[in-house]
Amino acid sequence: MKKEYWLIIFLVLLFLGIATLYLFVGNVSKEIVMQIRLPRMILTLFTGMTLAGIGSVYQLMLVNPLAEPYILGISSGSAFGAILFGVLGLSLLMPVGGFIGAVLTLIIVWRLAQKKGSFDRSRLLIAGVIVGMFFSAGISLIMYLFQKDTMIILGTLMGNLGHIFTQGEWHFFLLLLGISVIILVRLYFRSTALDIMSGGDIYAGTVGIDVQKVRKELFLLTSLLVGITVSYAGIIGFVGLIIPHIVRFFIPSGQRKIFLYSLISGSIFLLGCDLIAKNITVIELPVGVITSAIGCPFFIWLLLKK
Amino acid sequence: MMKISNLYIWTLVLLLVVMLSCSKQEQVSSGQKIVVLSPEIAEIIASLGATEHLVGRTSECDYPPQLLQVPVVGNFGAINKEKVIALKPDLVFTSALEQDAIAQELGKIGIRVHQIYPQKLDDLPVIIRQIGDLIGKEKEAEALSDSISIAINQVRSAAQKISHPKVYVEIYRNPLMSVSDESFVGDVIESAGGDNIFSKLERDYARIDPEDVILAKPDIIICYSQDTMAGICSRKGWNLIPAVQNQRIYFEQDIDPDLIQQATPRTVQGLWLLYDIFSQQMKK
Repeated sequence: MKKEYWLIIFLVLLFLGIATLYLFVGNVSKEIVMQIRLPRMILTLFTGMTLAGIGSVYQLMLVNPLAEPYILGISSGSAFGAILFGVLGLSLLMPVGGFIGAVLTLIIVWRLAQKKGSFDRSRLLIAGVIVGMFFSAGISLIMYLFQKDTMIILGTLMGNLGHIFTQGEWHFFLLLLGISVIILVRLYFRSTALDIMSGGDIYAGTVGIDVQKVRKELFLLTSLLVGITVSYAGIIGFVGLIIPHIVRFFIPSGQRKIFLYSLISGSIFLLGCDLIAKNITVIELPVGVITSAIGCPFFIWLLLKK
Repeated sequence: MMKISNLYIWTLVLLLVVMLSCSKQEQVSSGQKIVVLSPEIAEIIASLGATEHLVGRTSECDYPPQLLQVPVVGNFGAINKEKVIALKPDLVFTSALEQDAIAQELGKIGIRVHQIYPQKLDDLPVIIRQIGDLIGKEKEAEALSDSISIAINQVRSAAQKISHPKVYVEIYRNPLMSVSDESFVGDVIESAGGDNIFSKLERDYARIDPEDVILAKPDIIICYSQDTMAGICSRKGWNLIPAVQNQRIYFEQDIDPDLIQQATPRTVQGLWLLYDIFSQQMKK
């Protein structure tokens, strides 16, 4: 208990340190902090939080340590939609395209994962991977056909937290943020059921959990969240895969706590990475590159130490 | 007697053959088949009056309209090699960067390839002469090149007399991208009397930080990122920018991107259009 106390203090201090640097580094006016940096910080915190949280849910739900938020194909569908809108000259509507892509993929995977009413987890995994591959091929095709728009495509595929918000877009984003927080709370309260389900469908059934229903609900909610994050921030690798594992080094079991700490660590980690991505060189680096470049050595160090 | 006349006739025949083959060769060079993969070069070739030599183009080479009759061999980034080879061109014009690979590949199979990639305004008269030499339109090229040099100098000297407004060019919105002075369009803007706010970037066309745009306080925005006046004005924090406050934002319909992003004879038109916009600013 006392150890956890110190962990919380450490995370809070880390957050305050990074957030202060993020908002105030360099010579900036109050307007820039409020209008440019704060929105970006909120988007970054939200993205990191969601990715790590969903990662921890998927790893348990699919009983697969390699599962991450992008494994069920939703991200590829979302990126495909956003990129398609971008290259067709509708760059203002890229988040809309991303969301349409996500919902479309969700429906396809949903249909494929069901067989005679049952919602089997390996079937879900395979359906997600296949649909994801299909849309990845679509992205490759767009990349080949629209080589002049490489930057739009790379921005989505390598993560871009510098989304330019208009006032209207910002209010809409805040609305989505509110919905997302409600979904995250719901996911938190599904943690115990997930823990039990990881012991096997039959066992979970005997203790009174409607496995099919819970799995469908989790898939639906997480897919919506992935759709929202990819629409605004593109695909940012590593966070959703590794953060839950890092959390498990400190908290070996109990999905409730793992989920909660994944949310907190994911958001702080991504904020730190974005701070580095923005400031390490003259040119802003893709944040997805930094997450792996920093996260991998840290993870290796943890593996060796423990 | 017979022998001499025989020799005479044979000499005549030989001479005739040599003459014929010479004139035939000349015909080949004036009837040469050209494939052009870069819209800038296509436009220059057309303005030198050599459209009839074009046997292939990319879909982007669409100005002037008479080029539309020329068969298409692909688009700028994805060229159908077989189509190019089947046309048996005497000469292929390509751009650089994305087209480096195709230029090399065509070169390997023995096709004559010329890469032309103008990066500065002053390259324009030079490449016109170069193209003129290659397609046998030296005189036309010289005249066009000279008139363009004069026009560029006129704009430059006119531009020196106005005070230079700060200009921000947006080519992409998501992620935000602009141009440096090293790019062709950056050079055009500076020559027409504007002061590009991103004079130095790590690449000619590069990603930029919205904070830097707000801090630079541009007087004029040239927006090619498909955004709208309402869209830019309602961007968070952008209300601090003078160009937004005064609604001095120009879009594709105000100034055609082809006039300032590509090195063609129409660039002169683009220079004057920009000069008008920049000098207007100061009267306000």
